[in-house]
Amino acid sequence: MSSDAHPYRFYWLLWIVLLAVTLLMIAIEGANLPAALAVVVLLFGSAIKATLIIFYYMHLKFEHMGLILTVMVGLFVTGILMFVLPAYDGGHILESFQHLREYSG
Amino acid sequence: MSQTAIAQADWGGGASPFGVTWQKMMMWFFIVTDALLFAGLLVSYGVVRIATGDWPAQSEVFSLTYIAAMTFVLITSSATMACGVKAAELGRPARAAQFVWLTIIGGFGFLGMQAYEWTHFIQDGGGLLSNPWGSPTFSQFFFIITGFHGFHVLTGVTVLLVVAIRAAMGRYSPAGVENAGLYWHFVDLVWVFVFALFYLV
Repeated sequence: MSSDAHPYRFYWLLWIVLLAVTLLMIAIEGANLPAALAVVVLLFGSAIKATLIIFYYMHLKFEHMGLILTVMVGLFVTGILMFVLPAYDGGHILESFQHLREYSG
Repeated sequence: MSQTAIAQADWGGGASPFGVTWQKMMMWFFIVTDALLFAGLLVSYGVVRIATGDWPAQSEVFSLTYIAAMTFVLITSSATMACGVKAAELGRPARAAQFVWLTIIGGFGFLGMQAYEWTHFIQDGGGLLSNPWGSPTFSQFFFIITGFHGFHVLTGVTVLLVVAIRAAMGRYSPAGVENAGLYWHFVDLVWVFVFALFYLV
């Protein structure tokens, strides 16, 4: 991962990648994409950054497979379920409120 | 398969099923549970934001350049922390301590920037019960999410100060640097999602 002569080089290369993805995400925010597409793209960018941080800065890539799976299942699968299901519910609540407003208005 | 072969296999368990010290394992478990706590906060923010229907445009409230600078400081401190852990792994305590001090400076820099952001937000009328930009839940989530993250940064800086001071006293441990590093990277990891979901989306 890093040579003995330049043991820290890899971490600074990763730093450049993380900053580049961050700048790209800011550019996407300013590009006036449709809201749903912007959310998906920005979440994808965040997932790339998170994966790089977890696997390389936190060295998870070099740990025991049992630990890797425990962390990844815990973080990603549960995290994704937590994001996707309530977001759908939020849309449903908004619709209900709109119907209520139309009905009472 | 013999008992020995099972114990030696990846899924055999044994005395150290994850192949790490208990301190490191507990740090990872803490990180996973704390990450889910933040996920819960961000999900509730998302549901309320969608259900509310009208949400202020963040660009009218925050300076995106300033938030990007905060992100830069935190990512840079994560890079110095990774170098510190590497130096500790290579058996270079003085260099590891230098990188830890640089990380502490980054942490204080981020906290100072956040304090400045909060001050401006409050001076502009942002409060827990109301704000001039629309839904009061906007400022409530701002204070809760960024405040909770800021508290984590403060905790991380405190932990790193303990590591650095212990190193200066000659009570240095590479495992201590590594565990403190794991926590610090986690703080950066959470900011990745706070930055994207609260400030950009």
